[in-house]
Amino acid sequence: MQGGPDGPALIRSILAHSVRSPLDAHVAGEPHPTILGTSLFIFAVRRLITAIPVLIIATFATFWATSYVVDPTDKLALCTTCDESAYDRIIELYELDKPVPLRYTSWLGDFVTGDMGQATSQGERPVSDIFWERGLNTLYLAGPAFILLIILGTFTGIYSALRQYSLGDYAITSVSYLGLAMPTFFFGLLLQVVFAIWVPKYLGFKPFWSSGLHLESPLQFLRSVTLPVMTLMFVLLAGDSRFIRAAVLDIKSADYIRTARAKGVSERKVITKHLFRNAMIPAVTLWSLNAAGLFGGSLITETIFSWPGFGRLLLDATFAGDLDLTMAIVFAITSLVVIFNLLADLLYGVLDPRIRYD
Amino acid sequence: MIRTNKFARLLALLFAFTLVAAACGDSSDDATGDDTETDETTEGEETTTTLEEVTTTAPPAPDVEEGSTGGNLIWAHEQEPPDMHLDDPNNNLSVTSWVRSALIEGLYGITGATEYYPELLDGEAAVTANDDGSVQIDFTLRDGLMWSDGTPLTSADVEYTHNILVEGCDLDDDGSIVDGTGEGCVYLIGDRTGLDLVTSFTANSDTEFTIVMSQFYAGWKGLYNEVYAAHAYGDDAAAVNANLPEWANADGVLPSSGPMVFDTWDRGVQMTMVRNDAYHGSNSPDAVNPGVAFVDGVQINFVADTDTQINSLKAGEAHIVMTQPQLAFGERLSTDENFTVASSAGPVFEHWGLNLLNVHLSDPLVREALVLGIDKTEVMAGLYTPLFGDTLPAEGLGNTFWMSNQGPYEDHQAQYEGKQSDEARANLEAAGYADSGDGIYEHPENGRLTLRVGTTGGNALRELQQQLIQAQLADAGFEIVIDNVDGGAYFGERPFSEEALAAANSGGAEGDPTIWDITQFAWVGGPWPGGQAPAYITAAGNNAYGYSNADFDARVPECNATIDDAERAACYNELDTYVTTLDVDAENGLFMIPLTQKPSYYGYLSSVLSGAGVAPDAQGAGPLANVVDFQFK
Repeated sequence: MQGGPDGPALIRSILAHSVRSPLDAHVAGEPHPTILGTSLFIFAVRRLITAIPVLIIATFATFWATSYVVDPTDKLALCTTCDESAYDRIIELYELDKPVPLRYTSWLGDFVTGDMGQATSQGERPVSDIFWERGLNTLYLAGPAFILLIILGTFTGIYSALRQYSLGDYAITSVSYLGLAMPTFFFGLLLQVVFAIWVPKYLGFKPFWSSGLHLESPLQFLRSVTLPVMTLMFVLLAGDSRFIRAAVLDIKSADYIRTARAKGVSERKVITKHLFRNAMIPAVTLWSLNAAGLFGGSLITETIFSWPGFGRLLLDATFAGDLDLTMAIVFAITSLVVIFNLLADLLYGVLDPRIRYD
Repeated sequence: MIRTNKFARLLALLFAFTLVAAACGDSSDDATGDDTETDETTEGEETTTTLEEVTTTAPPAPDVEEGSTGGNLIWAHEQEPPDMHLDDPNNNLSVTSWVRSALIEGLYGITGATEYYPELLDGEAAVTANDDGSVQIDFTLRDGLMWSDGTPLTSADVEYTHNILVEGCDLDDDGSIVDGTGEGCVYLIGDRTGLDLVTSFTANSDTEFTIVMSQFYAGWKGLYNEVYAAHAYGDDAAAVNANLPEWANADGVLPSSGPMVFDTWDRGVQMTMVRNDAYHGSNSPDAVNPGVAFVDGVQINFVADTDTQINSLKAGEAHIVMTQPQLAFGERLSTDENFTVASSAGPVFEHWGLNLLNVHLSDPLVREALVLGIDKTEVMAGLYTPLFGDTLPAEGLGNTFWMSNQGPYEDHQAQYEGKQSDEARANLEAAGYADSGDGIYEHPENGRLTLRVGTTGGNALRELQQQLIQAQLADAGFEIVIDNVDGGAYFGERPFSEEALAAANSGGAEGDPTIWDITQFAWVGGPWPGGQAPAYITAAGNNAYGYSNADFDARVPECNATIDDAERAACYNELDTYVTTLDVDAENGLFMIPLTQKPSYYGYLSSVLSGAGVAPDAQGAGPLANVVDFQFK
């Protein structure tokens, strides 16, 4: 858990980690003048190339595990009168007559040529159709949640650190601990009860839908998206806020901050130019992880709010043994992790000019 | 200090705007029946206009007068059909059949008492046994049957349905399809039992037709449980396979013969149906309304989580739920005056099946000790009775062919009722077992009396049941180890694994008989229970228990060939005595222990909805079985 007495040590550790090992870079004595130039491009390309084995390993492991865990013919186990055609149908559909590695290479070959296959658990519709449809739905949740998370997390974290031990700090700390301690499903259900049942009952109006995606109008969409976004954001916000608070507290007592103040730099400039910017470096690591988690779909939040996104789809596809669909989602989630990590690495260079990419 | 005032104000303004905008919006979400109006554009796109102002109480009251027609019935359900092609072996979810029950009818329907009734027929069909062993069945359709697009429903539709079902199948010399393989068949259906006996189909007129079967098939009333429209479902079986998944052909949605017509499907969110105004009326003895449905349409919201379903009901966003029995429903809904929660005997009944090749269970005294040690009454009292009252027999089930709410049901394990631990231990001692010192018995050659019981993991009610029985059997000298497998792979990995089936079919000579000991599973019952029998026939493909009895094998086809309903019902009861007692097969009998029949459970917003449509559902046809009767107050 972030924050608390170990917070500064944790931040130092993340700072050191984020500067060195993930970037494969080194800290130079001077700012690099071509940070956004050729070296950056080469770095990005190199990172993307090294991501290929990661994607292959992740997809193969998923393919192998799903193939062994789920047997689609199980659904016929208790059918005492089903004839061979029923089994043949399942075997043909899932290519169960081929060994797993062969099926994987077949899938991979199709996938890289743009054929994502058919979703057997969704009426054999093209996976690509479902993929974009559900991906967009997840984006509806993840986008606002991520933006709000960054804004509120930064604001509450910095406020809390600058006003350490003030009433506001205690309030934010208490709410953060509440968020950290509260399971997502419980918080989601609580919001449903409060806003969809109690508010209408006692206040006479109903601000939000309890569940489901409503696209009839922008207003209906807003009413349906608010509670799941709040749920997604609140649970992450608690951690992020504590994390940023600890980072700011650590930097607040750094030598260069003291030097800046001694030089007579205004407090506003100290905060915005020196403190804020440096505090963002570890936060970027955290946000990249948050983003990958959010945009990859949230199983619990999407289930609680009956939201037709990636999270629910992955669960349904996995239990149904729908390999093409499972693989497409796993591929997307793995890619998101790689992409957001890469973006974080690139942002380090923007935030900290000492970082070089050669 | 950091200046955040403007930012904070902006945030506050945004939040306030959101709340105000939402509050000033509408409550069209509330399941108040007719508060939304759906317009179909020329392109088939849907626009929704909200009409009602915000409500002031929860759950919101409907703006429909008592007994009036109109409104949209909203059903919240956790499962979504993968597609609408129910016969596809890849799609056997019950929700698909539940949805289709509102769209399409068959020759016979099933009542709440799990009995057949003539649905599209004018009355019972006439069965005539011929001298050569073949059977002729003459059917007459009701007058005035109509598809939703105004086309009359005739014998030609039934003939078309038959032809689709058997299209391409390899035929025997007598014209019936080759049994058991489905070789060449085009239409996606995994079970052609009965159809493979039909040698001819003759449409005599628009309302009369005749089928001839090479021999009598006891489940004949279920053969054409859905009739397809010849003019719309596809020119051939391949086209039907292509049209059914989305319930549409090139011209639009497929026409209905049921009270509803398919409308839209927003995958992952909801499915909608609208009233079939050309509906010819329900013939179900459970239905009260003889005409078209009262409600304008049905909306099915796919709500995966149980608590969210309840919140959805309480928020007025759904009218009815029908789901697995769960404690949460009883706790949160049954105490609320706005809701009615009710249950009926469901079609799913649970069993323990015993592996006769197990070193312990191969001894009939041990099997009898096992059933003596189980107190089904305590299981019922602990799990079902508090929630579902006296819907089910308090002593549990005692038959694997008939369910407790069916007329021919007999309790064949009545002599084992109650906990009889002393008798169980006496049985074990008679079989050569002795207490090993910790209460668990042990055999000098076969070792400690440890038995694994397994099923698909993740079903809380079933796991509780296992734990209860585990404790009971510990008192009787058995050590029961729960061996469930998560993720739906249990049956494929344990009793129906290749090795286990090879052992069962060879009497242990091949394969591996030690993969499983006791399996817990459920049958889904129906008016014709003969479908269970093949699982117990010697060396049958799905006989995982290793049961073998020549008399039983011979009696099964005799039962299935008995034309008289009462005689046939008695015959199935006789078959059950082989399976659940030692009376007729003292050596291999008693390899199944029927436990409990699961209740069908439903809750509905009674402050809004009339209870008329919520009829008994023992056949598991889902909440739309009598959709014609749903009516808003």
